[in-house]
Amino acid sequence: MHLKRNHISNPTPSEYRDTDSLLFAYEGPFFIDMLTMLGKHLKTLTSKDTSIQKKLFRVYIELTQNVSNYSEQYVQNGNNEKNTGIGEVWVKEDKNQYHLTTRNLVQQKDANILSQRCEIINNTDFRELRDLKRELRKSSTDQKLGARIGLVQARLISNTPLHYTILEENRDYSYFKLTVKFNKNGEH
Amino acid sequence: MENIEINRNLATPYFPSIKFEVSTGVCEISGESYMEEAYKFYLPLINWIKKFAEEEKRKITLNIKLIYFNTSTSKCLLDIFEILKKYQEANGAIEVNWYYDKDDPDMVEEINDFENEAELSFNIIEF
Repeated sequence: MHLKRNHISNPTPSEYRDTDSLLFAYEGPFFIDMLTMLGKHLKTLTSKDTSIQKKLFRVYIELTQNVSNYSEQYVQNGNNEKNTGIGEVWVKEDKNQYHLTTRNLVQQKDANILSQRCEIINNTDFRELRDLKRELRKSSTDQKLGARIGLVQARLISNTPLHYTILEENRDYSYFKLTVKFNKNGEH
Repeated sequence: MENIEINRNLATPYFPSIKFEVSTGVCEISGESYMEEAYKFYLPLINWIKKFAEEEKRKITLNIKLIYFNTSTSKCLLDIFEILKKYQEANGAIEVNWYYDKDDPDMVEEINDFENEAELSFNIIEF
């Protein structure tokens, strides 16, 4: 196993440490077994509302698998196994909402593409988004589905806008932070 | 042809349980499905359904009881539906029964999207 860190010597620290509404946080390689364990914990923490529980878990899997597949910091597993992206995920809860956030390193050019995609998704009505999701699924190859369908799913399932931030680390790389909020009490 | 039976393992809940019986032509996919590289997991099943359609030429019944699947799995499901659609167009008999949790409106929406996308008619059943 080999870590590819892409020369970020002093990465910008996450703000999740500065909150008292934190349910959990994880930073490291997004191995499927780790995501499963955290997902199980997330289900337990949100078990009092099964509707929110299902929505949160669905979007949690989509966003964390995007990090696992596309982060520019990753673990090289070797033997023709796919690399495992490194990143951060945390969930916060306040009186009215749950906030699910992922953060990972991306190339500058991809940061621009991702922010454009979020803007388009936020400004598209739901009927068109469902059409877009079907189109992306149908036109993709078996092995490459792309990150965009996960973003569309996050918007459709949460029924709230995608909140993103780009933190430039150096000329080549930025951190892409994405937060999806879930309204409690069926307030979508 | 031989039956397919993959049982769910609690240590790897991201793999679903799969059962396909040659004698009845009934295939069931249940549990959760959010593994990485889903196509690697589903490819043997996809090939198996193709072979069944070509060699057995009997009715195929697909029962889906997935409580969650990721977008990568959804692409594989679509591939299966495309095979079934072609089989149906060649006068093969098919039946798709999709079971869902009544407290999961997102899943109902997803199933409706698949019906439109695959141009197949599903029996959508609450469980």
